[in-house]
Amino acid sequence: MKFELPEIEHDRSGFEALVRLEAASKDCLFDNIDIDMDKVNWFDADMCAALGAILYRLGENLNTVKLINIRSGVENILLKNGFLSHYGREKIPDRWGTTIPYHRFDVKDDRYFADYIEHELMHRSEIPAMSPGLMKKFRESIFEIFSNAVLHSRTELGIFSCGQFFPARHRLDFSVADLGVGMCQNIKDNMGLDLSPVDAIVWATEGRNTTKRGSVPGGLGLKLLGEFIDLNGGCIQIVSDAGYWRRQNKKTVTASLSHAFPGTVVSVEINTADTNSYKLASEISTADIF
Amino acid sequence: MQKEMTITIFEIVGSPLCVASSDGQRVYDRLAAALKEGKSAILSFHNVSTLTSAFLNAAIGQLYGEFSEEQIRALLKVQDMEPDDMALLKRVVETAKQYFKDPQKFDQAVRDTLGDDGNDA
Repeated sequence: MKFELPEIEHDRSGFEALVRLEAASKDCLFDNIDIDMDKVNWFDADMCAALGAILYRLGENLNTVKLINIRSGVENILLKNGFLSHYGREKIPDRWGTTIPYHRFDVKDDRYFADYIEHELMHRSEIPAMSPGLMKKFRESIFEIFSNAVLHSRTELGIFSCGQFFPARHRLDFSVADLGVGMCQNIKDNMGLDLSPVDAIVWATEGRNTTKRGSVPGGLGLKLLGEFIDLNGGCIQIVSDAGYWRRQNKKTVTASLSHAFPGTVVSVEINTADTNSYKLASEISTADIF
Repeated sequence: MQKEMTITIFEIVGSPLCVASSDGQRVYDRLAAALKEGKSAILSFHNVSTLTSAFLNAAIGQLYGEFSEEQIRALLKVQDMEPDDMALLKRVVETAKQYFKDPQKFDQAVRDTLGDDGNDA
């Protein structure tokens, strides 16, 4: 089969295009799948995480995936961030150092992921000098997203991540996608709540809500992430199943996508020019914690 | 016989990045073993640069499922923590207390949230 991909921006329309690809190809088995990128003049590189997840699943179904007619500007980015290396091409050097490479991880790769974040994101000279407080919060947020995928997705096919830095816009985009059960199914299985895909994301992003059962509590990760983004002035988007959720400027927007994503994507935009100190107004005493 | 033992997170995890739930579990195993014996423990965060709620939930949050608040308050102390890390731990602890206190109520809170939560768009 052949699928014509439209422009892929880091927004609802970009996710909508990707779930259409998923819907059109999900039943393919032992097929040749050509992703025609002739109409793609812009591809937000962090969206490689979500696209990579969809294509990886196609590979698992023993399909042969090819990306064809890639325009040179887009090809350049996808070669630099290593995405096209997964489809028979060679990685090229990233002279300006604005890409954060595309990677696939297994759920047991926490430490490998931590190394990747440190080396590809935190300790790179090309990444703008953010305040120590912002760096710490940003790092914690990225790990919260990954932990969330590890703890909740039940993915057997992996976790995919990719990012891109836009120096002129003082923006850093980073996405993590998993091929797990999705929030809707997870909440149904663990809580017995039959929620719509959108309501499932709303539920999961509320503080104290968790599908965790058993001895280890949970339920803070996405809430913390949302609080950080509110302060930072960035944006967070979550896609799970056919639900779309976006938070920006302390406002939440939700929508239903036409088809389901086969897992969950969490995507953040960080404002790298943020000058908040992230220091607490009042300190907590160690005696008050427990 | 030692009166108070020190458990150093960096020694257990082997990295300043304390982000994985599985690493938190290993810290929990040592803490729980000490508390079961009625030993006082100091948990040192020396050289720890990054913490996640997932790590702290596993390392400390789950203690509230095994021990009472009084026991934990009497036997466990933390040291060498940055103020914002302490704030995170405090939230993890509050959530854990809630989680173990009344799971039914937790579920009801969920339903209430959905009942009065309007999407902004």
